[in-house]
Amino acid sequence: MKRIERFWRMQSSDLSYLIGFLMVMAVIPIFLPETLLYILGLTFIFIVFSISWDFLTGLVGEVNLGHTIFIGIGGYVTALLHVPSRFEGTILSPLANIPELPIPLTIFLGGVVAAIFGVAIGLITLRLKGWYFALVTAILPLLFIKATYVFKDLFGGEEGFSVGLGKAIAQDTFGKYIVSLAFMIICFAILYGIKNSKLGLTLIAIREDNTLAEALGINIYLYKVFAMGVSSFFAGLSGALLVHYRITVSPDLFDVPLMLLIILAVVIGGLGSIVGPVIGGFLIYLLKYWVLKVYLVPYIPPAFPLNDDIILYILLIVIAITMPHGIYERLRKLYTAP
Amino acid sequence: MVDVNTILTILLYGATFGGVLALISSGFTLIFGVSRILNFSHGAFFMMGAYIGIFIMQQLNLDPITSTILSILAVGLFSLIAYYIIIYPVIKNEVMTIIVTLALALIIEQVILLTYGEFGLSYPRMISGTLSIAGVTIPILRLVILLISIATIGALWLFIERTRLGKEINAASQDAEGAILIGIDVNKIFAVTIFISAILAALSGTLYSQMYAANPFQILNSLILAFAIVILGGLGSVKGSIISSFIIGFIYIGTTTLLGARWSEFIALAIIIVILIIKPTGLYGVEE
Repeated sequence: MKRIERFWRMQSSDLSYLIGFLMVMAVIPIFLPETLLYILGLTFIFIVFSISWDFLTGLVGEVNLGHTIFIGIGGYVTALLHVPSRFEGTILSPLANIPELPIPLTIFLGGVVAAIFGVAIGLITLRLKGWYFALVTAILPLLFIKATYVFKDLFGGEEGFSVGLGKAIAQDTFGKYIVSLAFMIICFAILYGIKNSKLGLTLIAIREDNTLAEALGINIYLYKVFAMGVSSFFAGLSGALLVHYRITVSPDLFDVPLMLLIILAVVIGGLGSIVGPVIGGFLIYLLKYWVLKVYLVPYIPPAFPLNDDIILYILLIVIAITMPHGIYERLRKLYTAP
Repeated sequence: MVDVNTILTILLYGATFGGVLALISSGFTLIFGVSRILNFSHGAFFMMGAYIGIFIMQQLNLDPITSTILSILAVGLFSLIAYYIIIYPVIKNEVMTIIVTLALALIIEQVILLTYGEFGLSYPRMISGTLSIAGVTIPILRLVILLISIATIGALWLFIERTRLGKEINAASQDAEGAILIGIDVNKIFAVTIFISAILAALSGTLYSQMYAANPFQILNSLILAFAIVILGGLGSVKGSIISSFIIGFIYIGTTTLLGARWSEFIALAIIIVILIIKPTGLYGVEE
């Protein structure tokens, strides 16, 4: 009984911190320069990458190393739907004549297509227990990157292509900031809600003990595929939103450095908590694209083999070794200690 | 049209490439089979072999063969340090093992990028000259590399089957708890296996960059090829990964010759995905 009480108390304290955080985020644009506001907007989208990865890897315990493919799929789907002339001369040429669609609809379609891929990949790879899933998902980003090179006319090769200034989610930085903040809040609320529902408990039960969960009559395969579908849907949505935020799409959306940044954010925040990755994502993205970029990288002597990425990766190793449950769990232990 | 000449070229170049791949992937699958560690730094060991070799040749003016041997030993030593400092503290946690080894690989990639730049670097060749077999001209280097790969794989097989240490490694891979019970120091076995697999990767890296070039992006490319190979061959099966290395080698060189280089990785990976759909455990894999 006591444990249940503590469980609820912790949840409500999470929420109050979160509401405080959001209020600060809503007021802060008045005081910040525009460049920083732009980075903060990107940070919110990055946070959705992180919590959607955590939903599968943290909650269910399947290490998905190809999360970026869903981000990229979402991005390319919405971008291509807004530049349908790229379909001409490819096997998808009937799509070249589609009418102009509203941006929210194409972002949603980006999420749907990513989820279809996610479920299909999950159906194939989650049948096997153990390490296959991690290895197969690690291969997939390279396959997608190579596909953008091979089908250059459609995907624009290494440079990608632009969707055009008129296709931005908002015309000024403040508008973009507000859209991505609202987007993050909605995605967080849904994923956090699922995590705390009976469904979420089922997923955690699967992570804790596959065999026991199966013995209790839980179809672990279907639940894992479901979690993969949800995770890839939100990754697709956020990838699509990112394309309309920075109005370009390119294969870097698929790439390994982004994957590692997501892993870093979630590991630092704490795997499987959904709240932790919000904190981790916030810290890591700002650390990489603002703090290190502005205050450290310009001061490194040119011949010295050190850059912002190396610092982040060393940080990741240190955190993984010293506090494998993340900063969020650390703080929670400090606060709930008797 | 595909003529006899093209087929011979594909067979020969595919075999040498397959041999190099077999060296990388057998090490990767060996360490997984023994310790259940998925070593994502394996591709980094592969490229470190090449770059340290180049470094030794440039700085100490040694001949290619001596520097290759020194470089391979240096990578082996580095892998031991990495094992004790980074992998050992998180070895019980599979997710963290993947994360720390991947982070280590990317650190090495960045250091190479910052010191040698992003362009390919050629590794001085051990041997030059060409040979003509049935009208196909092939560099002698490729034949030597094929021989070295086969000899090394043979030596690995002899080591595992015939020596006491090898048998202990085999025992630990079959049942780690059972191995502890009969008094095998499993920790030592893990370290020895890491060392062997790093040496295989480094040797493979020096051979690869004599045929093509050393390039920091090969760290992730080779890692992903090694994944593809061990998935195809069956995780943990050294025999399976050697066979599938040659299969991938032929497919890779085949698509490069017939369709062009940009297709090669795409086709090879796509074929693997299709095989996985049909037979998810790979050629020699066991269901867990």
